[in-house]
Amino acid sequence: MTSARTWLERIRGLPLPDSVRVMNVCGGHERSITMAGLRGALPPQVELIPGPGCPVCVCPEEDIYAAIQLARRDDVTVAAFGDMLRVPCNAPKAEPRSLEQAKAAGGDVRPVSSPEEVLAIAKAHPDREVVFFAAGFETTTAPVAGLIANGLREGLPPNLSVLLSGRLTWPAVALLLDSDTPGFDALVAPGHVSTVMGPEEWEFVPKKHGIPAAVAGFNPESLLAALYSVLRQVIENRPFLDNCYQAVAQPGGNPTARAILNDVMDVTDANWRGIGVIPGSGFTLQEKLGDLDARVRFSIEPEEDRKRAGEMPPGCDCARVVLGKIYPNQCILYGKACTPRKPIGPCMVSDEGACRIWWASGVREQAGADLVRE
Amino acid sequence: MCLGVPMRIVEIDGFAARCEARGIERKASLFLLQHEDLKVGDLVMIHVGNAIQKMSEEDAQTAWDLYDEIFEAEAAQDA
Repeated sequence: MTSARTWLERIRGLPLPDSVRVMNVCGGHERSITMAGLRGALPPQVELIPGPGCPVCVCPEEDIYAAIQLARRDDVTVAAFGDMLRVPCNAPKAEPRSLEQAKAAGGDVRPVSSPEEVLAIAKAHPDREVVFFAAGFETTTAPVAGLIANGLREGLPPNLSVLLSGRLTWPAVALLLDSDTPGFDALVAPGHVSTVMGPEEWEFVPKKHGIPAAVAGFNPESLLAALYSVLRQVIENRPFLDNCYQAVAQPGGNPTARAILNDVMDVTDANWRGIGVIPGSGFTLQEKLGDLDARVRFSIEPEEDRKRAGEMPPGCDCARVVLGKIYPNQCILYGKACTPRKPIGPCMVSDEGACRIWWASGVREQAGADLVRE
Repeated sequence: MCLGVPMRIVEIDGFAARCEARGIERKASLFLLQHEDLKVGDLVMIHVGNAIQKMSEEDAQTAWDLYDEIFEAEAAQDA
């Protein structure tokens, strides 16, 4: 395999234009880029921008609020991926503002790391309603669909239901590219989303928008190979979809996962926290599943005033961080009022949030004037 | 949440498997890889407890090396 050093030398040897902005849309990519210090190692013309790559960060207020209200009930256990527990939402002063606070107030909230753990909880507590609050992109939503499809075969415990907040990644990129100011010149496409859904999902980026794209894996070699590819595409003005994670992200994706997603879920317009409704960007449980859908079982109707876009906490700039409009440390709260120990916005909570990743890599300073993107 | 970890299958019982990586064992579901002929010893990418793809020895090794670096860097920052 070509080493990271060799890829860097090849990139440094390219006749680069004055500025090339490359966006990634995966928390795993951003983490590898930041931890490996790739920004400092690349030529100064190359700007690496973290974009919409954190499902926890865009999980809408109304869903978090609904999960918290369920957790406050005596007869309900709420299970959620650990990242979701600390995400704050707006709530009246006397009420819990996160699932973690609901748990501290006596609610039964369980952090889980797989859908199968939720099944075990439901089987172990047949006397309680167990709600799986499942937020995530395609890589996480496919296993949720797998749990349901397998359950339909073997029988699911009647006390289990799913509050689904699944999202598709590519429509957020399409939203940016369809806007007047996409803010990037090339895309590093997500490796594991492509593993499940197929790299072909990203072909619209070069074909429709003329923007170079390459699917990347998570080690520096694969990321640098993808960067080299898109930079060459920019220089030669020959955009196409490259795949630098071929061993894992195979053509057509994972056929079982895609079939199962189609069997139990529909794709629908969906709200993204701080961004608004993006057409065709959400997964919803099919009607045939009845009250396996927690929204049906508990008659959850989102409150209209919670559905408006921009529902980040006051002063928090997570929405612009998620869209790649500013760097994490350009938010005035970064590292001051908002730290991983006392997070204000979701980007500082999730392991995939750009603010949390930058903080973990040691970035403590607010951005200097030369880094300002807007 | 999207962090995938390569693990080696050590036991298969229907769609349920036990997998191992770096001395740590976890239960995993093979339900999403029904189209693959999986056997004990194979390497799979595990994501939220589900195998989503078969992997080669080389790709698994580079992923483990990367995570070692990340966890060391984070431990140094948290210290």
